[in-house]
Amino acid sequence: MCRAVVLRVLLAVPAAGVATAAAAQEPQTRQAVIEQQQAEKVKTLQPQEGNRGERVVARLEAMLTGLGGSHWYPFFSNAYAGGGFALGAGYRMYVGPYSTLAVQGSYSIRGYKRVEALFTAPRLFNRRGELSIIGGWREATQVGFFGLGMDTSTDDRTNFGFTRPHFSASLTLRPTRRFLTLGGGLEWTRWSEQPGVGRYPSIETVYTPATLPGIGAEPTYVHSHVMAGIDWRTSPGYARRGGSYATTLHDYADRDKAFGFQQIDYELVQHVPILREAWVISLRSYVRTLHGKSGQAIPFFMLPGLGGGSNLRGYSSFRFRDRNGMLLQAEWRIMANRYLDSAVFYDAGKVTAHTSDLDFNGLRSNFGFGVRFHSPFTTPLRIDLAKGREGYVLVFSNTAVF
Amino acid sequence: MLTSSLPVRFRRVAVRLVVAALAAISLTASVRSQQKPRFYSDDPITREPESQDASKARVYEIQQMYEMVYNLFVNPSYKPSGLRAKNLNTIDEVPDSSWFTNRIGTTPIALDAIARGPIVGAPPDPSRWVLIREKTAGVHPGFTAKDAKGETWFLQFDPPTNPEGATAAVVVATKIFWALGYNQVESYLTTFDPKNVEIDPKATVKRPSGKRTPFTHDDINAILERVARNADGTYRVIAGRLIPGYLGNFLFERTRTDDPNDLVPHEHRRELRALRVFGAWTNLTDLKAANTLDALATVNGRTIVKHYLQDVGSTFGMCNDFHEWDLSWEHFYQGDATLKRFFSFGFALSPWQTVPYQEYRSIGKFEGDVFDPRTWRPQTPTTAYLELRDDDAFWAARRVAAFTDELIRAAVHTGQFSDPAAEKLLGDVLIKRRNKIASIYLTGLNPVVNPQLDAGGRLTVENAAVIAGVAKAPSAYRAAWFLFDNATGETKPLSETQSAAATIAAPSGLPSAAGSMIAIDIAADSAEHPVWKQPVRTYFRRTATGWTLVGLERLPERVPAGKTDASPAR
Repeated sequence: MCRAVVLRVLLAVPAAGVATAAAAQEPQTRQAVIEQQQAEKVKTLQPQEGNRGERVVARLEAMLTGLGGSHWYPFFSNAYAGGGFALGAGYRMYVGPYSTLAVQGSYSIRGYKRVEALFTAPRLFNRRGELSIIGGWREATQVGFFGLGMDTSTDDRTNFGFTRPHFSASLTLRPTRRFLTLGGGLEWTRWSEQPGVGRYPSIETVYTPATLPGIGAEPTYVHSHVMAGIDWRTSPGYARRGGSYATTLHDYADRDKAFGFQQIDYELVQHVPILREAWVISLRSYVRTLHGKSGQAIPFFMLPGLGGGSNLRGYSSFRFRDRNGMLLQAEWRIMANRYLDSAVFYDAGKVTAHTSDLDFNGLRSNFGFGVRFHSPFTTPLRIDLAKGREGYVLVFSNTAVF
Repeated sequence: MLTSSLPVRFRRVAVRLVVAALAAISLTASVRSQQKPRFYSDDPITREPESQDASKARVYEIQQMYEMVYNLFVNPSYKPSGLRAKNLNTIDEVPDSSWFTNRIGTTPIALDAIARGPIVGAPPDPSRWVLIREKTAGVHPGFTAKDAKGETWFLQFDPPTNPEGATAAVVVATKIFWALGYNQVESYLTTFDPKNVEIDPKATVKRPSGKRTPFTHDDINAILERVARNADGTYRVIAGRLIPGYLGNFLFERTRTDDPNDLVPHEHRRELRALRVFGAWTNLTDLKAANTLDALATVNGRTIVKHYLQDVGSTFGMCNDFHEWDLSWEHFYQGDATLKRFFSFGFALSPWQTVPYQEYRSIGKFEGDVFDPRTWRPQTPTTAYLELRDDDAFWAARRVAAFTDELIRAAVHTGQFSDPAAEKLLGDVLIKRRNKIASIYLTGLNPVVNPQLDAGGRLTVENAAVIAGVAKAPSAYRAAWFLFDNATGETKPLSETQSAAATIAAPSGLPSAAGSMIAIDIAADSAEHPVWKQPVRTYFRRTATGWTLVGLERLPERVPAGKTDASPAR
């Protein structure tokens, strides 16, 4: 009997004990279940912070937009057209709420060099003016020269180089803060023409100063310019509608009065949206005429050139040169998405010795296809494949063609 | 030796048996006591508890570019879990919480109530504005300012292309989202007269340099030059009341790590998933964490984190600007649409290129004829957006359908449109889009709702699709009855009954003891909607006076991801 009592106690005590302890721990209502979980979370609270990805993107965004303080940024601009892919860096620092001072430099695969310091004040006169001051130095080593006019051959290619220190200030005014644009500027620069390098003959082996003004020359220019225009595009760097119509007058005064001239540029750009901007027909015409000063020659390296990634794309850079140039471009741009466009394009142009010859006869043309990665206001990557009479040209650029 | 050892061995065996029995009994008792019941006594809860102090939470603001890149280029490979939302009570409803308050569809909302919306305080006094800094949220330009009474407001103007449009969108959308259950900022239409504006001497503006410098009159001009102005030189503005306790943004995934009450991953909160449906209805395309707001609030003496949909102004035709057509039709980036346009040179037209709009400047591009909520797209897909299941969409659609024409027009009227035709159009389009949502999401699942079992054993149900007028009544309702053991979760079939009406008789043999439980699978026969045969599982508990609904499952805990009607192909 005693054993039976012991057994009952043994049986009863653990079961009751387990049940009682479990009952004490296990919440009996839904509310208690949730409150227990919340109490548990208190023990593991941590500050809510951005993750590594957020920090990386924030740094990249600040670097690319220039907003939020001083930053290093990538710099891809070349010293001169035709230099090939250029890579460099810049450092931008704010010297005012909006004004920046930057130093930047690049080096291209063809050895072109560019170094400059740049001050920009984008908000002058209650947001009606922008001042830009640049001082720098550039060197190009193998710029192509094929002869003057349109009837030249690729077999005629020679190379030349130059160095060019420069210092300039330019002021852009928007009296109504939009549409109407007026501008002017002053530049001091010295062009030092040099023998070219590369696989083509250097220019002085084919031409002389008598046959081609500018060979071996080192003109020092005071270059002044004024411009007026109407620009109602959303941005020069990327637009799907609007237009820009501008003319610019340049005066290149040679200190030695040997190579002075004047230049007039006319440019019309029009974007015509179709199908709710899924298509855009973009048109551009550009004319540049040079007028020599009495008794002074125009050095060959200052003559308008056609050919290259931003104008006659199916031809190598500066494939055609002469005193006057005309370019007509048409693009059918197709929106793939908000960041990517493709385009079918056609370029035509000519260079002439006389302005009266700037007509539609004898135009050299090309066509092609391209893709552009863009933001609402900029085109950081443009890849165009163009086919001209002389073959295919693949263009990589970090700017819009127009 | 042998004889003497037998009793000893017998005793040893007996002791071992007793120990084994004790262990087995203890284990059984332990298992029984630790097994959680399927339903607790307080199920279904109507309010999500917030039991812990959250005052140590600190400001967190999402990096906006990161959010956009993540949503556009990482989320497309996100595999939805297919799991039921985790913040539901046991009858498939969202309990009230710091996120959400059951309003329309749960309680009647009068016309004056929706016209008032989230407003509880007094409007601003616009006789004097003192500017204290720039506006920090929203896409439209504005200021942060104190009114003549010294209260702080966020002022937002209309773009010149859409006078009245942006301000009206904010006012109307806050009313609608308040009625839907979301915490909203109190917003008022008022005026901004430059003649009555001062700059606080301490006011600053953050410049591109990252530094804050004094607020200048040119900063005012820079804003006013690009907003719509009234003929008398004043400006129509929307004034949003400052919410104290600013904590930055909430995310559409994970939980706040510094909020002890935030237990449910946000992608599994039904009210956040349902923004895909509410967003489609109102065209809330700018659906992102940066447009949300968390704030510390004191409730019943405890500091908690309250969650707001802060900026719902990118709604209706104000989701896009004058030259944007693709918003609400495509994400900012969508691989399939990109490839189609790229390889067809744009000849394969997208719907947004041809959809007709009746445009008023105060409304923008907003239509209801081509609209399909399944193909509607916000600018970027959030994780919660991707997790939407059919039962989430059904829940959301019931709330949308609960807006009567009169309620919609009352909300729209608060936009104070000067052109009655514009006001009418906005109301008309919202009604059309409401009807589309109801007809798609209320019929895509078994729409049985509000099951009630009376003491006499009569089961009565309602049909959300029939109530909304988007489907005919089914030819029959069928009920399969089970005994249900709340402790073990086991069911035992009883019988099946059916009825051509929405009231079905119970079989004999229902338990009568208080606390006993039954389960009923309720299905409907509809030639037009065969999917209604999929039963809704309900659970009832016997009480002293009758039966109480304690459980409802419209879909299983997990459904195949991406297989639901509510989840259009991405």
